[in-house]
Order: sequence, then C-alpha cells, then structure tokens
Amino acid sequence: MGADDRAVWGAFHGSGAEPYDTMVDHVAVAVSCSCPSRRTPCKHALALLLMWAHGDVADAAPPPQVARWLAGRTGATHRPDTSTDTSDEPVGTTTGTTADGGADAVPAGSTTTGPAPDTESEPAPEPPHDRDRARDERVERMHAGLDELDRWLDDRIRTGLADPSLARYATWDQLAARLVDAQAGSLANRIRRLAGVVGASPHWHHDVLAELGLLHLLAQAGRRLGSLPDPLADAVATTVGWQVRRADVLAGVPDTERWVVAGRSDTREDRIEVRRHWLRGEASGRWALVLSFAAYQQSLDTSLEVGTSLHADLHRYPGPALRALVGDHHDEPVDGQAPPSVGIVGACSEIGTMLADEPWLDRVPVTVRAAPTTIAGDRWALTDDDGSLPLLPGADLASLLAVSAGADVDLTCEWTPHGLVPLTVHLPDRSIDIGPRADASFVSAA
Amino acid sequence: MTGDRPAPDPSNATVADHWEVLVATAMLGTDRRDPPPPPDPVADLVDDTLRSTPSERMLAQVAATVAVRRAGVMPAPPPSRLAQPPTDDRAVCVPAAVDRWHHLVASWPVLEDEWVLTLLANGWRVAPELVPPLLVRHRSDPVRRARAELACGPLAEWLTGHVAALAPRGSHARPADLAAALEHVGELPDLPIPADLQPMLTAPGTETGPALARAIDAGQLVHAHRGVLVNLIARCRPDGLAAIAEALDAVPADSPGYGLASVLADLATTRRRMLDELGWVS
Repeated sequence: MGADDRAVWGAFHGSGAEPYDTMVDHVAVAVSCSCPSRRTPCKHALALLLMWAHGDVADAAPPPQVARWLAGRTGATHRPDTSTDTSDEPVGTTTGTTADGGADAVPAGSTTTGPAPDTESEPAPEPPHDRDRARDERVERMHAGLDELDRWLDDRIRTGLADPSLARYATWDQLAARLVDAQAGSLANRIRRLAGVVGASPHWHHDVLAELGLLHLLAQAGRRLGSLPDPLADAVATTVGWQVRRADVLAGVPDTERWVVAGRSDTREDRIEVRRHWLRGEASGRWALVLSFAAYQQSLDTSLEVGTSLHADLHRYPGPALRALVGDHHDEPVDGQAPPSVGIVGACSEIGTMLADEPWLDRVPVTVRAAPTTIAGDRWALTDDDGSLPLLPGADLASLLAVSAGADVDLTCEWTPHGLVPLTVHLPDRSIDIGPRADASFVSAA
Repeated sequence: MTGDRPAPDPSNATVADHWEVLVATAMLGTDRRDPPPPPDPVADLVDDTLRSTPSERMLAQVAATVAVRRAGVMPAPPPSRLAQPPTDDRAVCVPAAVDRWHHLVASWPVLEDEWVLTLLANGWRVAPELVPPLLVRHRSDPVRRARAELACGPLAEWLTGHVAALAPRGSHARPADLAAALEHVGELPDLPIPADLQPMLTAPGTETGPALARAIDAGQLVHAHRGVLVNLIARCRPDGLAAIAEALDAVPADSPGYGLASVLADLATTRRRMLDELGWVS
C-alpha cells in the first residue's frame, strides 16, 4: 500500500484466491481494481481512499504497474472517466468467442444496446477500443477459469467421488475462488453450494455427479460461445456468470401483456435470501422469473402479489432466459387470476421442453391440476389419472393437504431435480400462496 | 483402468440403468474403472473419438446423460388417491378474517380466543389454509386445541392423521383430557383487570372511552398500566369499541400519553373489525 501526490494504491485480500490490485488516481479521479465488482468505484477503492484520507497510507514511490497505469492515463486526464481499466462495469452479456478459444468474435446481433449514458450518474463511456480490450480481457479470464474448471472436474472423475478430499471444503472453495477471479461468479456459487451436498443425503453421489456433469457442460459450452446459436450463447454466458447491467436489460424491447403472478418462493442461498416470483403471460403463455435479493435485515420485494395479474412491460435478460425485470405498469393489479393448468403428462412435457433448452436450470415453473397423495415410504407425490410426479421432501405438505383436502386442485409448482415444490393453490375464487417463505428473523419487513 | 468387469450391452440399457452404472464408476474413479459404453440415446450425443482419456469420456457421458434424464422427465404410474375428509357444511370464514387472525397472533394475541369463539358461535369454519398454523399454534394447550379442532372441523383430524407435526403434544392428547378440555371450550378465559377498572367493562363506550382518554392524558394511566388496559379493552362491551377508539385517537399528539392512547385505540379498532368480519351482531 502506498501513495504519492498523484495516486494511492494497495492490494486487498477478498474472496478471490489472489489479492485484488487497487489503484486510485486522486487527481484526475479514476479507479482501477482487479476485483470482479460491478460497482464503480468498488469497495476496495473506497476503502483505500478512506485510509488515505485518515493518513493511514504511507508515501511511497509507485510500483511499476501503478506507474504504467498512470502513464496510460496521462493522455486522457481531461476525459471525465471514472470507469476501471479492467472493466468493473459489465459491458454486455454476449461476447462471443471462437470455437478454438479465441476471444474476437461477437455473435451478430447479440450485443446489448444500452441507453444513452447519463453523464450525471454514470461514467462516460470508454472509447470503443478500450471497451473491446476490457471485454477481451474478461473473456480471456473467463476462458482460463473454464479451462481450470474442466481440469478440476477431470481430476474428480479420475480419482472418484469416494476420494476423501471431496469432504474438505477447501477442495471446493479454492476452485470457487479461482472462478470468482475468472469472472465466472455463478459457477463459483454452484461449486460452493455443491460442497454442502457431499455427504448430506444417502444419494449425494448421484447429486454431486449430476452437478459435475452440468458444470462440464457449461465449461465446454462457455468456451465455444462463438459457435453457439445466439440465444444459447446468451444463456450459457449468463449462467457462467457474465454480468448484465440492469440498465441494459431495461433498455431492451419489452414483452408487454397481462402477466399473472402465479407463484412465489424464497430460498436462502449462501448468505442471501432469494425471492422468485413466477409470472405467466395471459396471451403468450410464456413464463418469466422476477428475482429479488435480501442480505441480513434487508427486505425482499413485496410489490408482486400471488393471485393477481398486472398489465406491464417485462424486460427479459438476454437469451431464452426466464429471468426478467418488471418495467412500466399500465394499470393496477387485478385480483383472482390464475394461469391455465395441465395434467401430469402435460407438466412433464412442459418441464422437459424447458430443460432441453437449458439442462442446467435448477428450477422450472409449471401449473398442474393434480391431487397430493402418498407414495413409497414417507414420500408424497402429485397425481392424476395418468401419472404422478414426486414432491420435494420437506415441502409444505400441510398447507397443500389442507387446501386440497386430497382432491384435484390447480397448483403452481417449481420443478427441482429432487421433486416439485408446491407454491400456489389456485381455487376458483382466490389463490393461496403456500410457497416457502424467508425466515422472518433474517429478512426485515418491507 | 480395469477391463475385468463385463460391459453391459448398451442396446439393452435404459438411460436410468446407465446412470446407475455411471454413478458406480464415478465412485471408484476412472483410474480404477473404465467408463461404460453409452446406450443409444447417450451415444448419439457423445462422440468418443474426440476424447482421448477415460475421464474425458466419462465426463462427456455424465453430462449427456444428465441432460437426457432431465429433458426426459417422465411421470410415474399414478398411485392410489387419499381418502378425503368428511364434508363440513359450515361456510368458510371470509378471507379478511384469515388475514385478521395472522395480524392478531403477531400483534394482539389477547384477542385470539375471542376470534375462535366468535367464529364458532356464528357458524363459520376456519379457512383451510389456516388449519395448519392454527393446529401448530395450539399443540400444547388442551382447551385451545379442542377449540381449534372444533373450528377446523373434520379436516383437522384428517390432516393430523397425515402430518404428524400437527398432532397435539403432551398428556392432553389422551381422550380423558380432551373431554375435560371440551367442558371449557366455550369459555373466554378470564383476564386480570383491577377492581377500579371493572365498572368500565360494562359501561357504554361513550363513557369508557372519554374516561380512559382523560386519565391517560392526565398521566393517571401510564405505560405501566398497559397490560391491564389491554385486558380491559379485550373484554369490554363490543358495542362500545368504536367510541373507545375514537376517544383514544383524540388524545393530543403532544400529550405524554399519546403513544399509549394510540396503541389502545389500535387494539379497540382491531377488535371491532375482527368482530365485524366474523358477523358479530350487537
């Protein structure tokens, strides 16, 4: 850590394996940090400035990388640019790569078009060549991370799932940290979640192997984005962890129609509570997923109420992704709405179609007309006259049984690899939200 | 890298069978066992000529098999259906009453007994979505449990038979205890109210409300009296609740008793609305 009359710099140990190099030009107001944060300035730059302001940073001669960075900025000191050289700000979602691992191909029509920059609230755009360079560096890092992931997967398969190293969290965490460095944060999250699956159930070997297979699929696809069809490339890039700016999503052409809020579920993922609202277009029948997140004592989105419908703009993330943001509302929500339901066979068909497009999806929505019943042991299932699908063990069975009284009901569920999670029972006059709820001691009321 | 295990004939293996073989192979690792030959649906997706090592071939098979299994989700045969509970001819309470119950247990649990008794007295039954939380809440108190089961009707027994977590806890699960509990089911529990406040229980709201408001404004009744004042409003004449709420709401905002008055006004309003939703008639 050090400072001179032009800049302050330091190295921070974050969640990545390598420390982040942070540099702040306090004369021309610019920041560079190797962390994957989407915020500019990132917390490391702010912390560095605070320490410097408190006199906690000693004067020193700038190290070579800082000197190079400052020299590179000399010609641009009049440019009001606070963006980072390493592209802290996501620059799009769909940078393509050539099949041989090159990073120079962008699928036609696949770049997102952002709104005109607001010079009061957002940094001025970088010149195109800077942006391209930053993007290429990100792609290169991502490729290196995917290469490493595949080598790691290969080791696991070679040594076997009975290898005691799998039971050590460090085995997973070190890889996850390297994936964070490689800007593949979503894969890092999957890896960390998978660490908790080892030994957690009698069938954990099945679960771990299946996830290793999906990670391999993503690693392979992620290195071939340029040769994939655009929508699939978008889906893979997003699933790997390529960040998309909210503003870019909102700048896209919306799906405008009446959307039924069909279901809600809350799940704790690491230290974040995630709320999923499943919406279904009344006319198109297309599903959409609206996410909200809450850390400890933050509040989740309560603007969408299950069983209502709203005429609104939905802005989808790139690719065939279900995820969307709600844009403008065109009227007030209406009560007493439910999506159309299908039988068990139809539900399997809908689920299979969505999973054929994106096999790595963890959750898929479906509205089914069926009754709860018992199957082998203490397992429960939804059934109709043609077939049955298992319910997730531990799902809120009491509410489902109470509302259905064992008879057929229209029910919106989330498919998961381990069974269906009942979310909403749609009665003729109202919908009853029975989806899993966030722990009230963790999140605060909105 | 062993070849001593007979390879299954891929043409006869289903994807599910193949998955089991893959899991067994993955347990040992491809250093010890070669990956099995893929069955037709997976072989169509995996070109082994491109992959030189057993682990690479294995990973490709695992990925393809997971994708095929997920996309090929199939229903199981339909099991027998559950016997349904006997019908309950009583009307279901209105949704507002359901919301009110949730509000009561979170903010004014002193009113819950009256909520259940009023519901029973007016011929309603508990909405089905409220049955599980009501039964869970009253697993230990025999009188309240018995009252809850009456309010829930036959659905309560049927549901408890399927979900053990809803069953009563402790000794009162015995029939003799339940019979004893039923004797008290219709009684609203007594709440401690000091003798000098007792006359307000039966006085008209137009007298009780202003009297309470004056005493709070003058500092004669303070937060230390909150408990007994809550009890008083929870048991006073229902037809006086509107007047009591109005008088308490009129306590000036700069009065030291403003906070207490507001809280008690909210209780009076909540109780009045609760009774209205359950069809209470004066």
